[in-house]
Amino acid sequence: MSGKSAREERREERLRAESQGDQQERRKRLLQIGSAAIFVVVVVVAVLIVISASDSGSGGDTNLEDVGLVKEKLAGIPQSGLLLGDPRATVTLYEYGDLQCPVCKSFSEQIVPEVIESQVKTGEAKIEFRNFVIISQESTPAGAAAIAAGKQGRGWNYIELFYRNQGKEASGYVTDEFLKEIAKGAGVPDLAKWEKDRESKQVVEEVESTTAEAQRLGFTGTPSFAVEGPGSSGKETLGTPGEAALLEEAIEEAS
Amino acid sequence: MPSEGSLRIAATVIAAIGIGVAGYIAIVESGGGAPVCVAGGGGCETVAESSYSHVFGVNIAYFGVFGYVLLLAASLLRGDLARMGGFAVSLGGFGYSVYLTYLEVFKIEAICQWCVTSAALMTILFCLNAVRMVGYVGKPG
Repeated sequence: MSGKSAREERREERLRAESQGDQQERRKRLLQIGSAAIFVVVVVVAVLIVISASDSGSGGDTNLEDVGLVKEKLAGIPQSGLLLGDPRATVTLYEYGDLQCPVCKSFSEQIVPEVIESQVKTGEAKIEFRNFVIISQESTPAGAAAIAAGKQGRGWNYIELFYRNQGKEASGYVTDEFLKEIAKGAGVPDLAKWEKDRESKQVVEEVESTTAEAQRLGFTGTPSFAVEGPGSSGKETLGTPGEAALLEEAIEEAS
Repeated sequence: MPSEGSLRIAATVIAAIGIGVAGYIAIVESGGGAPVCVAGGGGCETVAESSYSHVFGVNIAYFGVFGYVLLLAASLLRGDLARMGGFAVSLGGFGYSVYLTYLEVFKIEAICQWCVTSAALMTILFCLNAVRMVGYVGKPG
Protein backbone atom coordinates (compact mmCIF):
# COMPACT_ATOMS: atom_id res chain seq x y z
CA MET A 1 0.00 0.00 0.00
CA SER A 2 1.44 3.37 -0.97
CA GLY A 3 0.19 6.91 -0.44
CA LYS A 4 -2.72 8.09 1.61
CA SER A 5 -6.15 6.84 1.08
CA ALA A 6 -8.71 9.26 -0.34
CA ARG A 7 -10.41 9.28 3.05
CA GLU A 8 -7.24 10.36 4.85
CA GLU A 9 -6.61 13.10 2.31
CA ARG A 10 -10.13 14.43 2.74
CA ARG A 11 -9.66 14.40 6.49
CA GLU A 12 -6.38 16.37 6.27
CA GLU A 13 -7.97 18.87 3.92
CA ARG A 14 -10.88 19.33 6.32
CA LEU A 15 -8.47 19.87 9.24
CA ARG A 16 -6.48 22.38 7.20
CA ALA A 17 -9.63 24.29 6.31
CA GLU A 18 -10.73 24.27 9.94
CA SER A 19 -7.32 25.52 11.05
CA GLN A 20 -7.39 28.30 8.46
CA GLY A 21 -10.89 29.23 9.57
CA ASP A 22 -9.71 29.37 13.21
CA GLN A 23 -6.75 31.51 12.17
CA GLN A 24 -8.98 33.92 10.27
CA GLU A 25 -11.38 34.08 13.20
CA ARG A 26 -8.53 34.80 15.61
CA ARG A 27 -7.10 37.45 13.28
CA LYS A 28 -10.49 39.10 12.97
CA ARG A 29 -10.88 39.16 16.76
CA LEU A 30 -7.40 40.66 17.31
CA LEU A 31 -7.99 43.35 14.67
CA GLN A 32 -11.26 44.23 16.42
CA ILE A 33 -9.35 44.59 19.70
CA GLY A 34 -6.82 46.84 17.92
CA SER A 35 -9.58 49.03 16.49
CA ALA A 36 -11.22 49.32 19.90
CA ALA A 37 -7.86 50.33 21.41
CA ILE A 38 -7.46 53.09 18.79
CA PHE A 39 -10.95 54.35 19.57
CA VAL A 40 -10.26 54.39 23.33
CA VAL A 41 -6.97 56.27 22.89
CA VAL A 42 -8.57 58.87 20.58
CA VAL A 43 -11.33 59.46 23.17
CA VAL A 44 -8.85 59.71 26.07
CA VAL A 45 -6.63 62.22 24.22
CA ALA A 46 -9.68 64.29 23.21
CA VAL A 47 -10.90 64.36 26.83
CA LEU A 48 -7.45 65.36 28.10
CA ILE A 49 -7.24 68.20 25.58
CA VAL A 50 -10.75 69.45 26.40
CA ILE A 51 -10.03 69.40 30.15
CA SER A 52 -6.72 71.13 29.58
CA ALA A 53 -8.24 73.80 27.31
CA SER A 54 -10.97 74.62 29.81
CA ASP A 55 -8.46 74.93 32.66
CA SER A 56 -8.72 78.41 34.20
CA GLY A 57 -4.93 78.77 34.19
CA SER A 58 -4.89 79.89 30.60
CA GLY A 59 -5.70 83.53 31.38
CA GLY A 60 -7.93 85.51 29.08
CA ASP A 61 -10.72 85.73 31.64
CA THR A 62 -9.16 88.62 33.55
CA ASN A 63 -10.10 92.30 33.74
CA LEU A 64 -6.56 93.47 33.22
CA GLU A 65 -5.34 96.12 30.80
CA ASP A 66 -3.15 95.29 27.80
CA VAL A 67 -3.10 91.48 28.15
CA GLY A 68 -3.06 91.06 24.38
CA LEU A 69 -0.58 93.88 23.82
CA VAL A 70 1.98 92.37 26.20
CA LYS A 71 1.59 88.94 24.65
CA GLU A 72 2.01 90.35 21.17
CA LYS A 73 5.02 92.46 22.16
CA LEU A 74 6.91 89.49 23.60
CA ALA A 75 5.82 86.89 21.05
CA GLY A 76 8.71 85.02 19.51
CA ILE A 77 11.38 86.39 21.85
CA PRO A 78 13.07 83.61 23.87
CA GLN A 79 12.63 83.82 27.65
CA SER A 80 14.32 81.96 30.43
CA GLY A 81 13.67 82.95 34.02
CA LEU A 82 13.74 86.76 33.97
CA LEU A 83 16.06 86.79 30.97
CA LEU A 84 14.66 88.10 27.71
CA GLY A 85 16.42 87.39 24.44
CA ASP A 86 18.77 84.84 22.94
CA PRO A 87 20.80 83.32 25.82
CA ARG A 88 23.80 83.20 23.46
CA ALA A 89 23.82 87.00 23.00
CA THR A 90 27.22 88.22 24.17
CA VAL A 91 26.00 91.40 25.85
CA THR A 92 23.69 91.42 28.87
CA LEU A 93 21.78 94.50 29.91
CA TYR A 94 20.70 94.26 33.55
CA GLU A 95 17.64 96.17 34.65
CA TYR A 96 17.27 96.59 38.40
CA GLY A 97 13.64 97.48 38.91
CA ASP A 98 10.82 97.56 41.42
CA LEU A 99 7.45 96.43 40.11
CA GLN A 100 5.70 99.12 42.15
CA CYS A 101 7.88 101.91 40.77
CA PRO A 102 6.07 104.31 38.38
CA VAL A 103 9.33 105.37 36.69
CA CYS A 104 10.04 101.70 35.92
CA LYS A 105 6.58 101.52 34.38
CA SER A 106 7.30 104.40 32.01
CA PHE A 107 10.71 102.90 31.13
CA SER A 108 8.98 99.62 30.40
CA GLU A 109 6.51 101.36 28.11
CA GLN A 110 8.74 103.88 26.36
CA ILE A 111 12.46 103.13 26.58
CA VAL A 112 13.01 99.39 27.00
CA PRO A 113 10.80 98.46 23.98
CA GLU A 114 13.16 100.39 21.68
CA VAL A 115 16.14 98.40 22.96
CA ILE A 116 14.18 95.16 22.62
CA GLU A 117 13.34 96.03 19.05
CA SER A 118 16.81 97.17 17.97
CA GLN A 119 19.18 94.93 19.92
CA VAL A 120 17.36 92.09 21.69
CA LYS A 121 15.29 90.82 18.79
CA THR A 122 18.39 90.93 16.60
CA GLY A 123 20.28 88.70 19.04
CA GLU A 124 22.89 91.33 19.85
CA ALA A 125 21.91 91.65 23.51
CA LYS A 126 19.71 90.06 26.14
CA ILE A 127 18.02 91.83 29.05
CA GLU A 128 17.84 90.42 32.54
CA PHE A 129 15.39 91.89 35.01
CA ARG A 130 16.55 91.87 38.61
CA ASN A 131 14.34 92.87 41.51
CA PHE A 132 15.47 95.89 43.48
CA VAL A 133 12.99 96.36 46.32
CA ILE A 134 12.87 100.07 47.05
CA ILE A 135 9.25 101.26 47.23
CA SER A 136 7.85 99.09 50.04
CA GLN A 137 7.90 95.55 51.36
CA GLU A 138 4.99 94.69 49.04
CA SER A 139 7.54 94.75 46.23
CA THR A 140 9.08 91.55 47.61
CA PRO A 141 6.06 89.28 46.97
CA ALA A 142 5.56 91.08 43.64
CA GLY A 143 9.16 90.34 42.61
CA ALA A 144 8.87 86.75 43.86
CA ALA A 145 5.70 86.34 41.79
CA ALA A 146 7.61 87.48 38.67
CA ILE A 147 10.45 85.01 39.36
CA ALA A 148 7.90 82.20 39.85
CA ALA A 149 6.30 83.13 36.51
CA GLY A 150 9.80 83.06 34.99
CA LYS A 151 10.07 79.42 36.04
CA GLN A 152 7.28 78.72 33.58
CA GLY A 153 8.63 80.92 30.78
CA ARG A 154 6.35 83.88 31.55
CA GLY A 155 8.68 86.11 33.58
CA TRP A 156 8.70 89.05 31.19
CA ASN A 157 4.98 88.69 30.47
CA TYR A 158 4.44 88.99 34.21
CA ILE A 159 6.70 92.06 34.61
CA GLU A 160 5.25 93.89 31.60
CA LEU A 161 1.66 93.13 32.55
CA PHE A 162 2.28 94.16 36.16
CA TYR A 163 3.61 97.54 35.01
CA ARG A 164 0.63 98.07 32.73
CA ASN A 165 -1.75 97.44 35.61
CA GLN A 166 0.29 99.11 38.29
CA GLY A 167 -1.55 100.91 41.12
CA LYS A 168 -0.49 103.82 43.28
CA GLU A 169 2.79 102.94 44.97
CA ALA A 170 2.56 101.34 48.44
CA SER A 171 -1.22 101.75 48.45
CA GLY A 172 -1.84 98.12 49.35
CA TYR A 173 -3.02 97.03 45.91
CA VAL A 174 -0.38 94.29 45.72
CA THR A 175 -2.60 91.59 47.19
CA ASP A 176 -2.48 87.84 46.58
CA GLU A 177 -5.56 88.26 44.36
CA PHE A 178 -3.88 90.98 42.29
CA LEU A 179 -0.70 88.92 41.87
CA LYS A 180 -2.73 85.89 40.82
CA GLU A 181 -4.75 87.96 38.35
CA ILE A 182 -1.50 89.13 36.73
CA ALA A 183 -0.27 85.52 36.59
CA LYS A 184 -3.47 84.48 34.81
CA GLY A 185 -3.20 87.38 32.36
CA ALA A 186 0.48 86.63 31.74
CA GLY A 187 -0.53 83.13 30.69
CA VAL A 188 1.32 81.26 33.46
CA PRO A 189 0.42 77.67 32.51
CA ASP A 190 0.30 76.14 35.98
CA LEU A 191 -1.03 78.46 38.67
CA ALA A 192 -0.67 75.89 41.47
CA LYS A 193 3.04 75.52 40.76
CA TRP A 194 3.38 79.30 40.47
CA GLU A 195 1.74 79.73 43.92
CA LYS A 196 4.12 77.19 45.44
CA ASP A 197 7.19 78.68 43.76
CA ARG A 198 6.46 82.31 44.64
CA GLU A 199 6.28 81.44 48.33
CA SER A 200 9.37 79.27 48.31
CA LYS A 201 12.32 80.37 50.42
CA GLN A 202 14.66 80.19 47.43
CA VAL A 203 12.59 82.63 45.35
CA VAL A 204 12.12 85.14 48.18
CA GLU A 205 15.86 84.97 48.90
CA GLU A 206 16.55 85.69 45.23
CA VAL A 207 14.60 88.96 45.53
CA GLU A 208 16.60 89.86 48.62
CA SER A 209 19.93 88.95 47.05
CA THR A 210 19.36 90.99 43.86
CA THR A 211 18.26 93.93 46.02
CA ALA A 212 21.51 93.63 48.02
CA GLU A 213 23.46 93.38 44.75
CA ALA A 214 21.87 96.61 43.44
CA GLN A 215 22.86 98.35 46.65
CA ARG A 216 26.42 97.01 46.36
CA LEU A 217 26.59 98.41 42.83
CA GLY A 218 25.77 101.80 44.32
CA PHE A 219 22.26 102.18 42.89
CA THR A 220 19.86 104.31 44.89
CA GLY A 221 16.84 104.45 42.60
CA THR A 222 14.87 102.37 40.11
CA PRO A 223 15.17 101.51 37.37
CA SER A 224 18.96 101.28 37.31
CA PHE A 225 20.88 99.61 34.54
CA ALA A 226 24.19 97.84 34.13
CA VAL A 227 25.80 96.28 31.09
CA GLU A 228 28.23 93.41 30.68
CA GLY A 229 29.85 92.07 27.54
CA PRO A 230 33.16 91.27 25.87
CA GLY A 231 33.93 94.98 25.50
CA SER A 232 33.18 95.94 29.09
CA SER A 233 35.30 95.54 32.17
CA GLY A 234 32.91 93.35 34.13
CA LYS A 235 29.49 94.70 34.99
CA GLU A 236 29.49 98.42 34.21
CA THR A 237 26.83 100.53 35.88
CA LEU A 238 24.81 102.93 33.74
CA GLY A 239 22.52 104.46 36.34
CA THR A 240 19.16 105.57 34.92
CA PRO A 241 19.72 106.76 31.34
CA GLY A 242 16.84 108.97 30.23
CA GLU A 243 16.63 107.71 26.67
CA ALA A 244 16.89 104.45 24.76
CA ALA A 245 19.80 105.71 22.63
CA LEU A 246 22.05 105.82 25.69
CA LEU A 247 21.28 102.19 26.53
CA GLU A 248 21.81 101.18 22.89
CA GLU A 249 25.15 102.99 22.84
CA ALA A 250 26.26 101.24 26.04
CA ILE A 251 25.35 97.86 24.50
CA GLU A 252 27.34 98.70 21.37
CA GLU A 253 30.37 99.62 23.45
CA ALA A 254 30.12 96.42 25.50
CA SER A 255 29.88 94.17 22.47
CA MET B 1 2.99 45.28 2.24
CA PRO B 2 6.53 45.27 3.70
CA SER B 3 7.72 42.01 5.18
CA GLU B 4 7.33 41.55 8.92
CA GLY B 5 11.09 41.19 9.21
CA SER B 6 11.78 44.61 7.72
CA LEU B 7 9.08 46.20 9.92
CA ARG B 8 10.71 44.65 12.98
CA ILE B 9 14.20 45.83 12.00
CA ALA B 10 12.95 49.40 11.43
CA ALA B 11 11.08 49.35 14.77
CA THR B 12 14.19 48.06 16.55
CA VAL B 13 16.32 50.91 15.20
CA ILE B 14 13.73 53.60 15.99
CA ALA B 15 13.09 52.24 19.51
CA ALA B 16 16.84 52.24 20.20
CA ILE B 17 17.06 55.91 19.11
CA GLY B 18 14.01 56.63 21.30
CA ILE B 19 15.76 55.10 24.32
CA GLY B 20 18.68 57.44 23.62
CA VAL B 21 16.49 60.56 23.37
CA ALA B 22 14.29 59.81 26.40
CA GLY B 23 17.35 58.59 28.31
CA TYR B 24 19.15 61.87 27.66
CA ILE B 25 16.19 63.92 28.97
CA ALA B 26 15.84 61.62 32.02
CA ILE B 27 19.57 61.77 32.87
CA VAL B 28 19.80 65.56 32.46
CA GLU B 29 16.67 66.20 34.52
CA SER B 30 17.62 63.75 37.25
CA GLY B 31 20.69 65.94 37.74
CA GLY B 32 18.45 68.98 38.26
CA GLY B 33 19.13 70.45 34.81
CA ALA B 34 17.14 70.76 31.61
CA PRO B 35 17.87 69.41 28.15
CA VAL B 36 19.77 71.82 25.92
CA CYS B 37 17.92 73.04 22.85
CA VAL B 38 20.31 72.65 19.93
CA ALA B 39 19.39 75.99 18.32
CA GLY B 40 19.40 77.89 21.62
CA GLY B 41 16.32 79.50 23.15
CA GLY B 42 14.68 78.60 26.42
CA GLY B 43 12.05 76.22 25.06
CA CYS B 44 13.54 73.05 26.52
CA GLU B 45 14.04 74.63 29.93
CA THR B 46 10.52 76.07 29.96
CA VAL B 47 8.96 72.72 29.06
CA ALA B 48 11.15 70.84 31.54
CA GLU B 49 10.21 73.23 34.34
CA SER B 50 6.48 73.13 33.65
CA SER B 51 4.37 70.92 35.89
CA TYR B 52 3.35 68.91 32.81
CA SER B 53 6.80 67.34 32.78
CA HIS B 54 5.84 65.17 35.76
CA VAL B 55 3.03 62.67 36.29
CA PHE B 56 2.43 61.44 39.85
CA GLY B 57 5.72 63.08 40.78
CA VAL B 58 7.66 61.04 38.21
CA ASN B 59 9.36 62.71 35.26
CA ILE B 60 7.64 61.63 32.05
CA ALA B 61 11.04 60.98 30.47
CA TYR B 62 11.27 57.86 32.68
CA PHE B 63 7.93 56.66 31.28
CA GLY B 64 9.37 57.38 27.85
CA VAL B 65 12.45 55.22 28.45
CA PHE B 66 10.22 52.42 29.81
CA GLY B 67 7.90 52.65 26.79
CA TYR B 68 10.77 52.54 24.28
CA VAL B 69 12.29 49.53 26.08
CA LEU B 70 8.95 47.70 25.79
CA LEU B 71 8.76 48.63 22.11
CA LEU B 72 12.31 47.42 21.55
CA ALA B 73 11.39 44.10 23.19
CA ALA B 74 8.23 43.83 21.08
CA SER B 75 10.21 44.43 17.89
CA LEU B 76 12.73 41.73 18.81
CA LEU B 77 10.10 39.10 19.62
CA ARG B 78 7.92 37.06 17.28
CA GLY B 79 4.27 36.12 17.52
CA ASP B 80 0.91 37.70 18.19
CA LEU B 81 1.70 38.76 21.74
CA ALA B 82 4.63 40.88 20.48
CA ARG B 83 2.53 42.24 17.58
CA MET B 84 -0.39 43.24 19.83
CA GLY B 85 1.86 44.41 22.67
CA GLY B 86 3.96 46.57 20.36
CA PHE B 87 0.83 48.04 18.84
CA ALA B 88 -0.77 48.77 22.24
CA VAL B 89 2.35 50.41 23.72
CA SER B 90 3.04 52.48 20.58
CA LEU B 91 -0.62 53.53 20.42
CA GLY B 92 -0.49 54.73 24.04
CA GLY B 93 2.83 56.48 23.40
CA PHE B 94 1.54 58.10 20.24
CA GLY B 95 -1.66 59.31 21.95
CA TYR B 96 0.30 60.75 24.84
CA SER B 97 2.75 62.41 22.42
CA VAL B 98 -0.18 64.10 20.65
CA TYR B 99 -1.39 65.42 24.03
CA LEU B 100 2.10 66.63 25.04
CA THR B 101 2.61 68.39 21.71
CA TYR B 102 -0.77 70.09 22.21
CA LEU B 103 0.39 71.23 25.67
CA GLU B 104 3.67 72.57 24.29
CA VAL B 105 1.99 74.56 21.52
CA PHE B 106 -1.14 75.84 23.28
CA LYS B 107 -0.50 75.75 27.04
CA ILE B 108 3.22 76.04 27.72
CA GLU B 109 3.78 77.98 24.48
CA ALA B 110 7.33 76.67 24.23
CA ILE B 111 8.75 73.94 22.04
CA CYS B 112 11.35 71.48 23.25
CA GLN B 113 13.21 69.92 20.33
CA TRP B 114 13.89 66.74 22.29
CA CYS B 115 10.18 66.27 23.03
CA VAL B 116 9.31 66.90 19.37
CA THR B 117 11.97 64.36 18.32
CA SER B 118 10.51 61.80 20.71
CA ALA B 119 6.99 62.52 19.45
CA ALA B 120 8.17 61.98 15.86
CA LEU B 121 9.89 58.69 16.79
CA MET B 122 6.78 57.50 18.62
CA THR B 123 4.65 58.38 15.57
CA ILE B 124 6.92 56.30 13.32
CA LEU B 125 6.83 53.42 15.81
CA PHE B 126 3.04 53.59 15.93
CA CYS B 127 2.86 53.40 12.12
CA LEU B 128 5.30 50.47 11.97
CA ASN B 129 3.50 48.55 14.73
CA ALA B 130 0.09 49.28 13.24
CA VAL B 131 1.18 47.95 9.83
CA ARG B 132 2.72 44.92 11.56
CA MET B 133 -0.47 44.21 13.48
CA VAL B 134 -2.90 44.75 10.59
CA GLY B 135 -0.74 42.79 8.17
CA TYR B 136 0.44 39.89 10.28
CA VAL B 137 -1.62 39.39 13.44
CA GLY B 138 -3.20 35.93 13.58
CA LYS B 139 -0.71 34.62 11.04
CA PRO B 140 2.07 32.16 11.87
CA GLY B 141 5.59 33.36 12.66
